[in-house]
Order: sequence, then C-alpha cells, then structure tokens
Amino acid sequence: MAGNPKFAHNKDAAGEPGMNRRRMLAWFSGFGLFGSAILSAFSNLVFIKPRATYGQPQRFNIGKPEEFPSGTRMALDTRRVCVVREGDKIAAISTTCTHLGCIVSVADTGFACPCHGSRYDQDGNVTGGPAPKALPWYKVSLAPNGELEIDKDTEVEPGSYLNV
Amino acid sequence: MSQAVKPPSLWTNMRELPANVWHSLFRNPLPSDDLQRSSTSFTNFFLHIHPVKVNKNTLRPIYTMGLGLMSFFLFLILVVTGVLLMFYYVPSTTQAYDRMLDLRGTVAFGIFLRNMHRWSAHGMVGVVVLHMCRVFFTGSYKKPREFNWVIGVILFLLTLFSSFTGYLLPWDQLAFWAITVGTSIAAYAPVVGKDIQFLMLGDATVGQEALLRFYVLHVAVLPVIVTLLVAIHFWRIRKDGGLSRPEETATPVAVSVKAVELKKNKTYGLQGFVRGPFTKIGNTPDNSVFAWPNLLIAELFVFILTLAAILTLSMMFNAPLEEPVNVMHPPNPAKAPWYFLGLQEMVSYSAFWGGVGIPTIFVLLLLATPYLDRRTAGVGKWFARERLLANTIFMTFLIVNVVFVIIGTFFRGPNWEFVSPWK
Ligand code: HEM
Ligand code: FES
Repeated sequence: MAGNPKFAHNKDAAGEPGMNRRRMLAWFSGFGLFGSAILSAFSNLVFIKPRATYGQPQRFNIGKPEEFPSGTRMALDTRRVCVVREGDKIAAISTTCTHLGCIVSVADTGFACPCHGSRYDQDGNVTGGPAPKALPWYKVSLAPNGELEIDKDTEVEPGSYLNV
Repeated sequence: MSQAVKPPSLWTNMRELPANVWHSLFRNPLPSDDLQRSSTSFTNFFLHIHPVKVNKNTLRPIYTMGLGLMSFFLFLILVVTGVLLMFYYVPSTTQAYDRMLDLRGTVAFGIFLRNMHRWSAHGMVGVVVLHMCRVFFTGSYKKPREFNWVIGVILFLLTLFSSFTGYLLPWDQLAFWAITVGTSIAAYAPVVGKDIQFLMLGDATVGQEALLRFYVLHVAVLPVIVTLLVAIHFWRIRKDGGLSRPEETATPVAVSVKAVELKKNKTYGLQGFVRGPFTKIGNTPDNSVFAWPNLLIAELFVFILTLAAILTLSMMFNAPLEEPVNVMHPPNPAKAPWYFLGLQEMVSYSAFWGGVGIPTIFVLLLLATPYLDRRTAGVGKWFARERLLANTIFMTFLIVNVVFVIIGTFFRGPNWEFVSPWK
C-alpha cells in the first residue's frame, strides 16, 4: 500500500486542491447521473401518455337539426350524450354519470344512474344520490355541411343552447 | 496428486456414470448428522435462503399460521397458471371474451386452469390481509422489522392492484363496469386524478387501450415488482434474525463449541463480520432446531395444504363469466370485486372521501405504524396485554372494513339501494 502513487499524491496535497477538484467532479457526476435518472423517468411518463387516442372521437357530427324535432330528448349511448331540443334551441348534455362514470338513462324526471342511484333533473342538476356535480353540457355548433357538431372537449354553461 | 492416478476403465466409468451425475448435482448426501444438515442448507441454491437453524418459536403453527408462506405459494400458483393461460389469451376487445369461452369449451384443462388462477387470486388477497393481521397482532413490526412492514404494505397494495388489473381481462360485463367504476374513483384524487385515470386507460373511457395497458401491467410489470419485493421481504427476515419471538428469558450459557467448527487462527469468513442479530450456529442450547428437516417439512406441509385447497375449490366452483361487454348497459348494480366493495360502499356516501381521502389516510397510517408505535413490549405474542391500545385500534379499523365489505356484498341491490339478503 505504501507504494501506491495515488495514496502518496493525496498525502502531498496538504492544501487539498486536488481533493477539491475531485470532490467537484464527484458532485457533477452525481448531479449528472441523478438528473438523467429523473429525466428518463419523466420521459417514460411522457411516452406512456398517448398523444392520439384510438377510441371514440371527442368531436363528431350527429346529423341535421331536422332529425331532432322539438321536444326531443334522445340519448346517443355510444357517444354518451343526450341531444335535447326545445323549440329552436338545441343542446347536448353528457350522459356519463359524474359519480363514477356509468351511463345514465333518460327518465321522466331527467336522468337516473343505475350504478349507485344518482338522479338528475332535466337540465342535469343533481337531485339525489352520490353524484357530486351536475352533468356537463357540451358545445353544439352547426358544421359547414349543415349537420350538428358536438365537441365533448368543450364544456359550456348549462342552459346555453344553439339556435337553429 | 503427486502420483498420476490410473483413469478408470471405460466400463467402470459407464457403470458409475449415473452416480457421478447425481453427486455432481447434489453435492451432499441426505444429511444424517448436524454438520451435514448445515451444509445441505448452505450449499443448495434453493435451500440456502433458509438459515441453518431456526428458532422453535418460528415453527409453532399457531404463531405464524403459515400465512406469509401461504401468500407466497399462492403467488407461485398464480405465476404458473397465469403463464399457461397466456398461451391462449389475446388482449383484444374483439377476441378476449371468445378466448374465455374457448378456455371453457375447447382447451384441455382450460377451465380448470382459469379456476385455479381466479381462486388463487381471491385467496391471495384474503391471505395477505390475514398475514398482515398476524404481523400486527403479534407486534412483529417493531424494531428492527419496521421497514419489512413497509415492504409488506407495498406488497399488499400491489396484490390488490394485480387483482384489479386482472379483473378486466375477461372483457365481460362484470370486468368492464368494475374497471369503469374503479378508474373513476382514481379520477377523484386531487390535481393528478384525471391524469392518472388517463394514463391508466390510455383514453377517455375503458376500451382497447385500457385492456392492453392492464394486460401489460398484469402479466409483466406487477409480477416482476412483486417478485423483487418478496425477495427483499425474505432477505430482510433473515437479516433481522428470523421471525419475531418473545424475548428469551434464559440467558444462553457459555458452551464449548465443537473444535472442528472454531479453530484458533482460523481465517474468518464473511459470517464473522455480520453485525446484528442472526441465528446462531453451533451447538448452543438456544432453543433452535435445524432447518433441515424441521422447517422444510413445515413449509412442505403449508404448500400441500394451499395447493390442495386451490385444487378442491377449482374442481367445485367455476370462475364466473358474465355476458360480453355491452358499453350501453351497465349491469345494475355494477359491483367491484368483493375486496373493493368496502371502498365502493364508502364511495356511495362521498366519492372523494370514500374513494380517495379515507383510503389514502388508511394506507399512510399503515405505512407509519412501526414509526409511530415504538414501544418494544409485547413482541412475539398474540394479543399481548401490553399492546392492548394498538391492537384495539387496528381491530376497530379491521372490523369497520369488514362490515363495509359485507354491506356492499350482501345488502346492496339495484341502484345501490339497501336490500335485505333474506328476502
Ligand atoms: C405478497 C405478499 C406477502 C408475502 C408473499 C409475504 C411473505 C412472508 C413470509 C413467508 C414471512 C415469514 C413468516 C410468516 O409466514 O408469517 C413473512 C413475514 C413478515 N411479513 Fe410478510 N408477506 C407478504 C405481505 C406482507 C404484508 C402485507 C405485511 C404487512 C403490512 C408483511 C409484513 C411482514 C413482517 C413484518 C414479517 C416479519 C414477521 C416476524 O418477524 O414475525 N408482509 N412474510
Ligand atoms: S356511477 Fe352513477 S351513481 Fe355511481
């Protein structure tokens, strides 16, 4: 051991300049390694989060306004929205229960959820059961081809209708 | 070898071949004395996870009830049957359900393997909980075992999550709606809830992406993590000096150790440097017995018992399979698997508190238990009087949980309304 040049060098450097450089390098590489570990963990998360989904589109056409005569309350179950028309006003109310995501069914009084018994009125306000908030309303617009377009990514104030 | 030994003749060589192969495989004869017993445990890859000697208390059936081992064996059964099922299963929304039917109809032993997998999964959840209770009520999470308790809590959560991810795979009504409800509960977590749900499902709703994700978690990610943690769990039991036990009252007398085992001027092996408590070897009268055969026989017994129970259940009951998924019509009521029904019951009062708030507090309390309760009295005894307070608190939590599960299972009908099971 005594002949180990490294060891001897350390002993010589009583003012420890070499030691400082070493320390700094150790810190740098420590930061580097740790940083890259965090970065790669983060990029894995980014990788796992899909940019495009393959399921149901969030924005879709449902047909011409004439197909929904006044007084309609038609649940489009695959789209999970209910199309409501009163006179000239059209709106789309979500049929996904705000409690835990079951599909609510259209009832005389509004909507009723089969899973834990939440009940909503005609406008989607909670009237009973565990649901914590009202059913959201989605933006309805008239597409250039004259069909109604529902955008489930954009929620609107309950009570805002599209006039046709 | 100063003198060259004459090689055996071809004939002798052939005659001795089977014996030679055998002895190269098993380097120890079946042990007949203590030295051989130690060396058998020491030199065999599968046995060296055991200490050479174990405390008698460890082997008392009513102390551990073999529950930890049972969890492990159930996990083994799950891995074996799960890998076999993977030969036929396809994680696709259009095929998964048909594959389930094929397992029933065309695959030899298909239904039996599926039953074994399903019942072991349910069994594992139950047994792991019981094992946790055993550890708690015997005060076995105390120093130095604090962190092994923490690993245990993580294993418990992973066990639940494995069951949860497996539940979706048959792609029947039960699966689809249980997962819809379950992932919506996750969405109630503050700030990150929606993101967690989206990451789990890979989409806004349960569909093909979710099925694929759950499949990958279920067959690859989770089992690998569980395996790793179980290995650490076992390693730590060894390093913590075996299982907890009441403090030994009689101080071990100084004894003369056999000369062969401790020579003067011996070069010390790694063992000599091991710090802290470890099971002693040597002929000290310390209340311990050899792992071979005592521990091995006990383990074999628990294994046979576990396997027999699962085989019997699988012959008697078929794993359920409901209608294929119908996204339009949730069954009413839509129930989660039984071990989540306590959660679901609480969720029906308040989605945030029942689904996220209370469970999080509960898990944090579990994790913190060994760091909060640090008194050392009463370790190694069931329901020790010294631990009355801690045990009462734990028992209360336990009973409340069980009551919620029972209510959710038997007393909830359509629209989650109260029904009487006797009607
Ligand atoms: C995958 C699940 C698990 C497996 C396979 C497993 C396996 C085992 C085994 C084989 C033992 C030896 C003693 C015995 O059989 O009781 C043990 C002991 C222990 N387990 Fe687990 N366990 C699991 C989950 C847990 C959980 C959920 C906890 C607690 C939260 C836990 C905490 C402990 C502690 C602290 C010990 C040491 C007990 C003592 O020293 O007396 N384990 N485990
Ligand atoms: S999901 Fe509708 S009440 Fe629970």
